[in-house]
Amino acid sequence: MKPAPTLSSAFLHPAGQSLPQPLLALRKQRAAALLGMPLPTRKTENWKYSARHLKLADDMAISLPAEGKTGTSLAVPGYKVVFLNGVMLPEASEFPDLDGITITSFSDLDEQEARELAGRLDHTLTPQSVQLAQLNSARFEDGLLIRLQPDAVLDQPLYIIHEVNADASGSAFPRIFVDAGRHSRLTLVEEFISSGSNGQAQVLVNAVTEFCLDEGAHLTSIRLDMEGDSIQHIGATGVRQQRNSRFESHCVGFGGALRRHDLQVRLEGEGAECKLNGVVVAQGAQHYDNHTNIEHVVGHCNSEETYRNIAADQAHVVFNGRIHIHPDAQKSNAEMNNKNLLLSNGAEIDTKPELEIYADDVKCAHGATIGQLDKTSVFYLVSRGIGRREAHVLLTMAFINELVAQIPVPAVRETAQTRLNQFFEATFQEA
Amino acid sequence: MLSIKNLHASVEDKEILKGINLEIKAGEVHAIMGPNGSGKSTLSQVLAGNEAFEVTEGEVTLNGQNLLELETEERAREGIFLAFQYPVEIPGVSNLQFLRTAVNAMRKHRGEEDMNAAEFMKLAREVCKQVDLDPSFLKRGVNEGFSGGEKKRNEIMQALLLQPKLAILDETDSGLDIDALKVVADGVNALRSPDRAILMVTHYQRLLNHIVPDYVHVLAGGRIIKSGGRELALELEEKGYGWLGIKDEDAADAPAN
Ligand SMILES: Nc1ncnc2c1ncn2[C@@H]1O[C@H](COP(=O)(O)OP(=O)(O)OP(=O)(O)O)[C@@H](O)[C@H]1O
Ligand SMILES: [Mg+2]
Repeated sequence: MKPAPTLSSAFLHPAGQSLPQPLLALRKQRAAALLGMPLPTRKTENWKYSARHLKLADDMAISLPAEGKTGTSLAVPGYKVVFLNGVMLPEASEFPDLDGITITSFSDLDEQEARELAGRLDHTLTPQSVQLAQLNSARFEDGLLIRLQPDAVLDQPLYIIHEVNADASGSAFPRIFVDAGRHSRLTLVEEFISSGSNGQAQVLVNAVTEFCLDEGAHLTSIRLDMEGDSIQHIGATGVRQQRNSRFESHCVGFGGALRRHDLQVRLEGEGAECKLNGVVVAQGAQHYDNHTNIEHVVGHCNSEETYRNIAADQAHVVFNGRIHIHPDAQKSNAEMNNKNLLLSNGAEIDTKPELEIYADDVKCAHGATIGQLDKTSVFYLVSRGIGRREAHVLLTMAFINELVAQIPVPAVRETAQTRLNQFFEATFQEA
Repeated sequence: MLSIKNLHASVEDKEILKGINLEIKAGEVHAIMGPNGSGKSTLSQVLAGNEAFEVTEGEVTLNGQNLLELETEERAREGIFLAFQYPVEIPGVSNLQFLRTAVNAMRKHRGEEDMNAAEFMKLAREVCKQVDLDPSFLKRGVNEGFSGGEKKRNEIMQALLLQPKLAILDETDSGLDIDALKVVADGVNALRSPDRAILMVTHYQRLLNHIVPDYVHVLAGGRIIKSGGRELALELEEKGYGWLGIKDEDAADAPAN
């Protein structure tokens, strides 16, 4: 029998040399642990549907070069940090100059700061469930530490543009760590895009973002997954919340060769609440797999999760929503709602709510549906002279409208809408 | 205007329409009455082009054009309008967006430019007022959470907006209170014109007091079993359908006269 493929080839190339010593040490430690890790197969429970889309060719082992021009000039209103191939480009970025907020690249941290950070990375995510995403800690070239002092408020959204260049094969490992002090406020927008048009290049993006919210902090995270079709993206977002903090997440994802995102939230202080919204659209042979996990560790916390998935053509979308209410988490309130729309007979959507409830005095509601466009609604629209194609677009958009409308930054909403319109354009052909 | 000859239609292999013949000329108002389940809505839906029903025999022409060959949206653009007995709720699509898309689709068909947002808003407010609907209904999802009466008024509002050649009104009067009935009737009367025809399905004579029809037909068991002037409606109101040789219970299978 052939030995199972492992991640060993990912560590053949020395890298990360610009990082301060403690972070380099962390990298080495993680690499050693992952060296012999077999790649997930369809028997790996949480990779069941995605394993076959994971194609790690040897020439992806090398990190993409952190140089060159960014291919896309996104008109971003406000503060922005631009990452190219996982490394920050200071000259393309515009940092806020405000009291109480520091944004530092990992390479610029002093020894002491780097040691502190090394001690905090990877503590928001459950290692067993994000095996592959952990590769990031073994491979990041750089990263961004965003620190908000108590009561600090960022007056405008902070954009992080994660661009990868797909001209050559390789991989990129963007890493963000947000440390939000007591009662601080921040809206963080992450846009994942790609440039370069070489269809032959094999590119893996493995992005990890972590948020630590201290008491009363309010954080909004908006994530647009808009990389090119050929890119394989494995990402994870980890969140830990202390008392009375609020975390709001808006994810809009467009399918690709492989898209996998794990979102994990730990409610660790009473009165904490999170609201997770997600929209996924996939067409052609695209794939998208969202795994979310909400841990109600203590009582009196609220979680509200709403995900809408749309699969057209032969696309495949996966949603796995786990809610875990720990034994002491009395008076927890958890709501999860997932609706799915199949636009063709060849498309597939797999949805699985996983509830583990170990406390007795809790409110936990969940619902999942899979359906197609309603024929009666289509008939009603076309009976008014509206073209069939347009009717389909209207109804499909209606399915996600509510969530798109909730994205709290108008410019991001527009970007998302523009991309959604392209999706409709390609999905619904003129009759 | 509209000519229906020996129209047969089935749903799921069950024949509902069993040979309908009907001629409607421009400027006329025809009322169709008949017991529950006799096929009135089926006829309306078939004319509008609902694919759930299969036409198995017969022909329908609109101003000489074969209607059955046209897609639903093409029929609408040629001037067919159906006010649904059960208007469909479509959350997530605003009434305004829906109406504007419809109006612009019609304009495009006529080779006209899109109506701009401001112009459209003005027009939409006007027709809202005509059917006594607050303009705030434009912002809500299509029929979403509308009361029964509001839905019916929303249908008439659309007819006023789209100015069809043939308006088919399927029980637009049912579920309306007295004031709303008056509003809807005024809306329908506003539609009346020498180059437009109206086909209305109703169970009640009271609507016909407001909108006086030129002809009244009785549809039973998938056939038109009697036609007459407006006095036929009064007669039906008084005597029911029994004297025509059908009973309400087995209306769908009633024999032809
Ligand atoms: N989609 C369908 N599937 C099965 N049967 C149907 C369907 N649509 C209509 N029918 C049947 O066709 C017959 C005629 O229905 P239709 O709705 O046309 O009656 P109607 O005359 O409009 O009645 P009402 O006065 O109650 O509105 C009924 O027996 C009905 O059950
Ligand atoms: Mg009916």
